[in-house]
Amino acid sequence: MPGSQDQDRELIRRAQRGDQHAFGDLYVIHAPAIFRYLFAQLENCMDAEDLTGEVFLKAWQSLPKYMERGVPFLAFLFRIAHNTLVDHYRQNNRLEQQAPDEMDGYHEDGTPEPVETVGKLLEHQKILAVLSKLRPDYQSVLTLRFISELSPEETARVMKRSVGAIRVLQHRALAALREALNEKQ
Amino acid sequence: MRTERQIEKIINDYLPSIGNGQETLESVVEKFPEMANELRPRLEAALWLRDARFALATRPGYIHDSRKYLETKIEESQPKGWLGKIFRQHTAQHWVFNIASTVMIILLLALVINSTALTARLSIPGDPFYTTKLFLEDARLAFTFDPVDRSNLHMEYSRQRTSEFVELVLDGDYDQLPAATTRLESEIIASLHALNRVTLADGAAKQPATAGLQHTLSNEISMLRILQQSSPQGVNAEIELAIQVVQAGVMALR
Repeated sequence: MPGSQDQDRELIRRAQRGDQHAFGDLYVIHAPAIFRYLFAQLENCMDAEDLTGEVFLKAWQSLPKYMERGVPFLAFLFRIAHNTLVDHYRQNNRLEQQAPDEMDGYHEDGTPEPVETVGKLLEHQKILAVLSKLRPDYQSVLTLRFISELSPEETARVMKRSVGAIRVLQHRALAALREALNEKQ
Repeated sequence: MRTERQIEKIINDYLPSIGNGQETLESVVEKFPEMANELRPRLEAALWLRDARFALATRPGYIHDSRKYLETKIEESQPKGWLGKIFRQHTAQHWVFNIASTVMIILLLALVINSTALTARLSIPGDPFYTTKLFLEDARLAFTFDPVDRSNLHMEYSRQRTSEFVELVLDGDYDQLPAATTRLESEIIASLHALNRVTLADGAAKQPATAGLQHTLSNEISMLRILQQSSPQGVNAEIELAIQVVQAGVMALR
């Protein structure tokens, strides 16, 4: 679960005064959740890593504006992450990306990667394939709730919906996911 | 909505126990037979997502290494110098808003003070701003250090008191006349004291200052005499008293 709000508040206060180490602590707390959110929607790990860094650099640049908006920090980060992802899709049309079969499991020189890495890549491809069968809002709610481990309240803030609406959406999304898994099998 | 809430709670409560082997999917579903049909597929989906979470985790050492990289990037982009650091803490909008609001407040205050001073300057005894008028006069005196200037200021205030007295009579506000006479007397006494200080400080300035005060008091007497002739009989005594006060000042000058 991402860090407590009190801890966040203190680190944000220091980061707003220009303390990059405090922002580094915020990064350690929240980067794993942001990474998982991005990786669940991207074809490869390198892109997810690059975009995670980009999200936090944008967050650093927008930090002075953050207090004025009064949004919880995690929701603020996930909104940046969502916008960064949208920009990424615009810049690199997904259809034009290299097909996973052509690259996954091999280094540039053609030697195979370790078995563990290949297994993880295949697992990732399977996750993407299943999630991509769902409606975008189902994908978002499941990714935020179960992959990034946000609370219903935080998810509601990120998706700009009420907590009740998130609960209903999650209920339907889980059922849809189960159906998608059945189809896959 | 109730079922959705219940299933969400079950998932939140039992997902960790299934994960650490304390429970199984079947054992959890058996605990809630009335909603087994709805719960089972959702719990299965939630378990699949939990496993997916591990597959989507960052590679070992990534957070540590990328943190260093991020901090270096931030360090490079940090504004140099104290001015840059101050500007980093607030957005351009914030600065524009702060400066604009400060300027607006200063302008508004200047407008209010100016209007108050103007209203006070035109006020006569009994008006709400009359106390402000006296306060402003005292403030002006407090910041006038040259004896000649102070003497001139007292003469100006003496003329003011006489004008106020005339206005009170013309407005028929006779209740304020005794107090106005007392203030006129105080101002004439203050003028005489100021004149003494001029004499002590600068002998050459004594002559024109004395002539000035004499001229002022003579004019005041003339003004009050004209007022006496054109005013009702009932207010004659008060005007006469004011004339005597000014005449006493002339006598003191001689």
